[in-house]
Amino acid sequence: MLTHTQTSKAAACIVFCGFFSGPQAIAEQPSTPQDWIDRMGNAVQVTNYAGTVVRVRDGKVDTFKVVHTVTDGVVREKVVIQDGNGLEIIRNGNEVHCILPDRESVLVEEWNNQSTLFSTLPSSDIRFGNEYDVLIKDFERVAGRKSAKLAILPHDNYRYGYRIWLDTETGFPLQTQLIGDDNRPLEHVKFADISIEQDIRSSALVSSYSTDNWKWYAEPRLTINREVQSEWVADEAPSGFRVVSTQQKILPDVDDPLTHIVYSDGLVTVSVFISPVTDAKKPRRSSVGASNSYSTVIGEYRVTAVGQVPQVTVEQIAKSMRQSQ
Amino acid sequence: MNEAIRMQVSAFVDGELPENEADLLVRRLSQDSHLRQQVSEYLAIGRIMRGEYSVQGSDALRERIAAELDAGQLQEPADTVAANQPSRYARPAAGAAIAATVALVAIFGLGRVADVDTGVPATAVVADEAVSETVPTMSDDELRRLMILHGDGSNSFSTRVTSLQMRAEELAEEATAEEPGTDEENVVTEPVISQP
Repeated sequence: MLTHTQTSKAAACIVFCGFFSGPQAIAEQPSTPQDWIDRMGNAVQVTNYAGTVVRVRDGKVDTFKVVHTVTDGVVREKVVIQDGNGLEIIRNGNEVHCILPDRESVLVEEWNNQSTLFSTLPSSDIRFGNEYDVLIKDFERVAGRKSAKLAILPHDNYRYGYRIWLDTETGFPLQTQLIGDDNRPLEHVKFADISIEQDIRSSALVSSYSTDNWKWYAEPRLTINREVQSEWVADEAPSGFRVVSTQQKILPDVDDPLTHIVYSDGLVTVSVFISPVTDAKKPRRSSVGASNSYSTVIGEYRVTAVGQVPQVTVEQIAKSMRQSQ
Repeated sequence: MNEAIRMQVSAFVDGELPENEADLLVRRLSQDSHLRQQVSEYLAIGRIMRGEYSVQGSDALRERIAAELDAGQLQEPADTVAANQPSRYARPAAGAAIAATVALVAIFGLGRVADVDTGVPATAVVADEAVSETVPTMSDDELRRLMILHGDGSNSFSTRVTSLQMRAEELAEEATAEEPGTDEENVVTEPVISQP
């Protein structure tokens, strides 16, 4: 039998737990940043959600309506870009339809990977403490949901930092910011509204248009020969960047095979593309959002590095590529 | 777009807006396409005036805006308050309204693309790596293809969506090229795969 004091404490505990966390507080929350990262890694694979994402970058605001489900391991997604030409992207497993309403056209492509739209940050093999530190900064509400704010801090200027707000109930990322070396965000991706684990009807995952009489284009299949051993290595890749895959690809309408080497520091990837020189273009830099590229000629080959890393990183990796003896 | 919204937007892009206010701002942006356009214009002008947007012709545009500001040829209505703020967004905030008449057409005339190889040495366009930016032209098929290939395997939402947008732009160009005389070899008039 509970004493008056015990009863009061029990009641206070119920009120406290209910007020701050709701019924989901019964589920144990991660206690370390790494636990949160692991939880996010699982959440992006299994969580069903529908919502509106706002992206701000390059002085431009974009809005996307997104729906995502996973049933028996099959990923289905719908992304509708709210501005511009109203592009719709419908994914059913490996099959992707890009729908252009203004052109009354549909492009059918096949994806070879199981990545999902928010299979974001970071991979499980990141070594926190070497290239990055990760901290729990705060607990805030995002899109009406309680979230844990994590900060991923790079140790040098060869990579960006991140702030990630994870839903405390599921671990799903509700907001991310890409942080430049001046500690200012380069890019914001934030849910304006989101429903998680709600019943999502199949009708929410089909096109908004009747496309039967539109032009349908079948993308010529990208041929990936196989994983290969390449004699190309980066002599001076920034610390922590290691080769995670090397492929040789045959592209439509291109005679020469393309070597595609992917470097990763566990958090971001940099693609290095190598192909025989077909013209004599000067070295060049380009960027889209926070993604940068650097292209140069080494011997008889054009080498191009692309990644969501600072310009100095793609430039250093591209310039240091050498053919080992 | 009023001054309060401008100040909120400036704080938001700097990551300094309290999260509860950021929630409200983003929700409003998600629901109001006209506001999104206004905010994009405001941010784009701010970037040009800070010299962060090195598309071809923007230097001349910036100088022209600055000259008109110095000459006091344009009105400074509601933005005077912002111009007095210590924020580094103060000048762009003022410029956003003042220079709108001369800048907006030019910005959207320039578009979001620039060709670093057309008539301008790359080193001139990328004068300062820390602040300069060039964007591959949509006619640069090779670079676009590589960015699409990179985006296909990326773990970033933004990179993946951008990759898909680029692919859709390719499709739009293909469709445009085929409109005068349709190439039956590449176009499938019946769906090649049924709708899910």
